[in-house]
Amino acid sequence: MTSKKQNKQSVDLSLRQFIKDLGGIAGGTALLASTPWLQSFTVDKLSELKKEKARLAVIGTGSRGQYHIHNMLDIEHLEIVALCDNYIPNLKDASVLCPKAKTYTDYKKLLESSEIDGVVIATPLNWHAPMVLDALDAGKHVFCEKAMALTMDECKAIYEAYQQTDRVLYFGLQQLFDEKYIKGIQMIHSGLLGDIVGMRCHWFRNHDWRRPVPSPELERKINWRLYWESSGGLMTELGSHQLEICNWAMGQRVPVSVSGMGDIVYWKDGREVYDSVNLVYRYANGVKINYESLISNKFNGMENQILGNRGTAELAQGLYYLEDDDASPAIQQLIAEIRDKVFSAIPAAGPSWRSETKGKYKPYAIVKNTAGVHSGASMIGADADGSDLILSSFAQACITGEKAKNIVEEAYVATILCLLGNQAMAEQKTIYFPEEYRIPYMKF
Amino acid sequence: MTGTFHHDDRLKISHGNLTKIMGTRFDIILLEKGEELASGIWNETRQELIRLDKMLNKFDATSEISMLNERAFLYPVMVCPELFQILVDCRIYHEKTMGLFDISLKDLSKVVLSESDYSVSFLSPEISLDLGAYAKGYALKVIWDKLIKHNVPHAFVSFGDSSILGIGNHPYGDSWKVSITNPFVQNEVLGEIDLKNTSLSTSGNSPNYTNHIVRPGSGQKNNERKLVCVVSGNPVDAEVLSTTLMVATEQEQERILQNFEIESFKIYNT
Repeated sequence: MTSKKQNKQSVDLSLRQFIKDLGGIAGGTALLASTPWLQSFTVDKLSELKKEKARLAVIGTGSRGQYHIHNMLDIEHLEIVALCDNYIPNLKDASVLCPKAKTYTDYKKLLESSEIDGVVIATPLNWHAPMVLDALDAGKHVFCEKAMALTMDECKAIYEAYQQTDRVLYFGLQQLFDEKYIKGIQMIHSGLLGDIVGMRCHWFRNHDWRRPVPSPELERKINWRLYWESSGGLMTELGSHQLEICNWAMGQRVPVSVSGMGDIVYWKDGREVYDSVNLVYRYANGVKINYESLISNKFNGMENQILGNRGTAELAQGLYYLEDDDASPAIQQLIAEIRDKVFSAIPAAGPSWRSETKGKYKPYAIVKNTAGVHSGASMIGADADGSDLILSSFAQACITGEKAKNIVEEAYVATILCLLGNQAMAEQKTIYFPEEYRIPYMKF
Repeated sequence: MTGTFHHDDRLKISHGNLTKIMGTRFDIILLEKGEELASGIWNETRQELIRLDKMLNKFDATSEISMLNERAFLYPVMVCPELFQILVDCRIYHEKTMGLFDISLKDLSKVVLSESDYSVSFLSPEISLDLGAYAKGYALKVIWDKLIKHNVPHAFVSFGDSSILGIGNHPYGDSWKVSITNPFVQNEVLGEIDLKNTSLSTSGNSPNYTNHIVRPGSGQKNNERKLVCVVSGNPVDAEVLSTTLMVATEQEQERILQNFEIESFKIYNT
């Protein structure tokens, strides 16, 4: 076993142990209730699998597909039995990673195989809906990359298909399995920041978002992210994660309206999707998400700030800050020592502490290990951001058949919001959340 | 200002905290009281601190001292009996400290106190009273009286580290023990002081706050790297002396201390 593999397994076990431990602490049950997709993500459930392995196929073996394959190769309870891509160079690359897997160029043929329990879909956005629906129809469990689909109607069709099926369906919202997001949101739900009064999310890069194209006729196939026929642009590719996090922080509440502006400011290279977007999502209680993404300046990186009247969380960095950070460390020490029956001199005496000398907010870490901090620069994915754990959970679910609560609903809400954002920018007007796309899960 | 109160009923510890009060934060730890009593005492303490802040804090433009500072040169300003008594008290301290404790920072003789109607007038437009070297000690004394009234046997009270009161003792020690840390050198402990039914006041400069203590008369701002610690059963004495001794020469220190009965006095070079 490689050390990287050991490390990944220990991250997996550590989150599973954390979920198990939560059940034992005061308030843990309530916290678990707010992350129901994690209920089965425990060490015990993993050991119940014994030596069983989910037989999985990867559809779409480009960069993100190969990133998943790397993670999947380290997960004990799955095996990659098939690969599919209609772009041969990518299929060949993936085949090198898992030589035993059968290869396909037509996903429909792959879905006919009875030796496949589930599929991992990492294809361009316009392919999500047909592939997810066909795979569910073929009786396969499905893990599909975010966003859910290219159009709101497709999202609705997937949501409805999911209501009818007994198959497992996951979307690649890896932050749902990222320790710093889970703990951060739980801290927010426990009242650490007070009332949420606003949210600011941004994703900045300085990159044209292009992949090299071997011959011109492949432009739209390879650079699918740049064209509306196959992509929702920055919103679906980057914003969907961030909007999901906002709704999660807000306790599954969903904004009622969105306004925004989108433009091609810098990368005027024939693309159709915006390279600069600014949007405001507004919740019924007046709380707003300010969303901004720009890909010709990377100064601000990526961040999801949750602003409360008592503090601020920067969830991407795994940090939080308090508004009135005036707790005296000496007094805290004194209280802790009395609790521990210790008597010692506490460092409580000195020149007067002055609140007005406080210059900066002091950062506190949400989790001790900050290895998974995502700078936002990578176009494929970061290490330890939950991408491997969500696949571990999916593979487990393929074996047990247990559906994961809320994941489909969260993906649905986040994707619809992205698409409404795109509509608001295209039509240059405020868009209200349409009745026909509301689902019972949503609270406004 | 914002405040919090936490009570642990199993351990019978209560912690009350206020921020942005008298230019600093305030913490009180009460032992051996149930939640209802403790929160009652905390509420009373909190009200009292807010009341005193409204009277004595010159950085609050609506405080009584600010009103006084604004108008007392124009006409005699009547003040409440408590503030009047404080000003009389400050005059006595002025005398006992050879003029080095001076709430006018310039010339206390230009402040006229009229006992007949509790009015105050300034004889110069340049006079402005600053109770910064007095108020926290006074507030500690007021709070101490309240704690006695409520039969609190053990408590630890701190005004932003610089004015501390130890009542009774730590549950696992025979006093409250504090260490004095060097503001210029992280984690360097300069000394330890045991507090049992007494108070400690510390004055000095720190890296981000210096030149805030002024020698009256010359107006010279003190920028020495030292800390002055005074332990006294009277928190007002401790408060007044820690600032005064900061600007006094060694000879002056000796003479001033003859006028007081304090428990200990130390100067640390930082």
